[in-house]
Amino acid sequence: MSVDKARILVIDDEKVIRDSCKRILIAEGHIVKSAEDGDIGLSLFKEFRPDLVLVDLKMPGMSGMAVLEEIESSDANVIKIVITGYATVSSAVDAMKRGAYDFIPKPFTPDEILLIVARGLERRHLLLESEALRVEREMRRRNMISLVSHELRAPLAATVQYLEVILGGMAGEISSEAKEMIDRCDIRIKELLELLSRWLNLATFDPMKIAEHFQDINLSDVARESIEVLKSLAEEKKVSLSLDTPKDLPPIQGSKMLLEEIFTNLIGNAIKYNKVGGWVKVALYEKDHEVWVEISDNGLGMKEEHLSRIFEEFYRVDGRRNAPIKGSGLGLSIVKKMVDAHTGMIDVESKFGEGTTFKISFPKFNI
Amino acid sequence: MTQKKRILIVDDDPDFSTAIQKILSSANYDVDVAGNVKDGMQAIEDKMPDLILLDVMMEKYDDGFNMCYDLKHDDRYRSIPVIIITAVTEVTGLKFNPETDGEYLDAEDYVQKPISAEALLDKVKRLI
Repeated sequence: MSVDKARILVIDDEKVIRDSCKRILIAEGHIVKSAEDGDIGLSLFKEFRPDLVLVDLKMPGMSGMAVLEEIESSDANVIKIVITGYATVSSAVDAMKRGAYDFIPKPFTPDEILLIVARGLERRHLLLESEALRVEREMRRRNMISLVSHELRAPLAATVQYLEVILGGMAGEISSEAKEMIDRCDIRIKELLELLSRWLNLATFDPMKIAEHFQDINLSDVARESIEVLKSLAEEKKVSLSLDTPKDLPPIQGSKMLLEEIFTNLIGNAIKYNKVGGWVKVALYEKDHEVWVEISDNGLGMKEEHLSRIFEEFYRVDGRRNAPIKGSGLGLSIVKKMVDAHTGMIDVESKFGEGTTFKISFPKFNI
Repeated sequence: MTQKKRILIVDDDPDFSTAIQKILSSANYDVDVAGNVKDGMQAIEDKMPDLILLDVMMEKYDDGFNMCYDLKHDDRYRSIPVIIITAVTEVTGLKFNPETDGEYLDAEDYVQKPISAEALLDKVKRLI
């Protein structure tokens, strides 16, 4: 779009206004279409795809305010200018709140409307330019991530594939000592692959995108499924797992995939950082218009100085490389991001040697 | 005894192909390997494989997808089952799930690198 020639839609019930706007703007080289009410205006808006719309606030049928809102929600980058015969401050402010860029009181001179339209189009130009830059930057970031991911994963994948052949006995017999070492190689490389996926998850995680696909979710189901997944780990570690949830827990708005990730991460940690005979309790309840999740354990617990840092990326409570319990140091930072994406809050209480409780609250979803 | 089934691997990573070849030959398949789309198309014409294992990212990002598309729009090769293989996960935004990927719907299956011998042989057996 060039600043000097644009597509403009005029929505006004007064024929005189429509015709004069048309005449003035066409003379400037713009492409102009007009509609006599909001409904016709909106359907024309969809097929004509204007850069700028002039809307009368007071029309029979659909109001100018409603038209503004529709246009704002379908494309906020379209410049909306309000034409009004009763240019009160309050109606102008109201219109601005609904996304209007400017307003012009009736009656107006050709110079007045040309000035306002020119300013609006300049604004449109800037909006489109910054939008294009933003999209380009995002694309470049994503391409870079995909490329790096591919370059890092491909050699690891090939190596693991060879190990699979060797360990499967498809390349002849190997000594039991060699097999033990190759088993370790296999485990370590798979850990690295896993770390890479987690890092990618973090790097490409876009809360805005995720929120577009939110559905109403019953957290009881999510908790049950996550516990099911972790049952064998708990059995292996001799840790008992329990769930306490009311039958009528209200739904929340969220992404099932992410919520499962939150639950499996926290429950998984509670199992891993526990002792033989320990327990992990998951409790769900409703309080103060929020749905609460409490995941508590009587495991190892954490010292005060770690608590404020556990949501940081790559922070590990046991910082040693050869810590007895393996982890990437990314889990909780991802959990925090995912809780944030659900406009929830996460908090932790812990006593060293006694156990840890994570508390998460999500806004309740009301229909 | 029935004739051995023939499988073509198209992948630009020779190490990965070698490993996969080992797994498939251990299960008594005849295996050919091609390192790019051009050689792959040639091998398909010459050998008429019973199944194709096809890498997605070769010289270009989407070589595998395009080759699969071409195969599935060619009457001579349409009926050869294709398993798409890739090292890239979904989080990168590259789609490759044949169930949801309209245009590439025609690929019979897909697997992620690396894959366990058992899982790979399972998928292959299901198709040929």
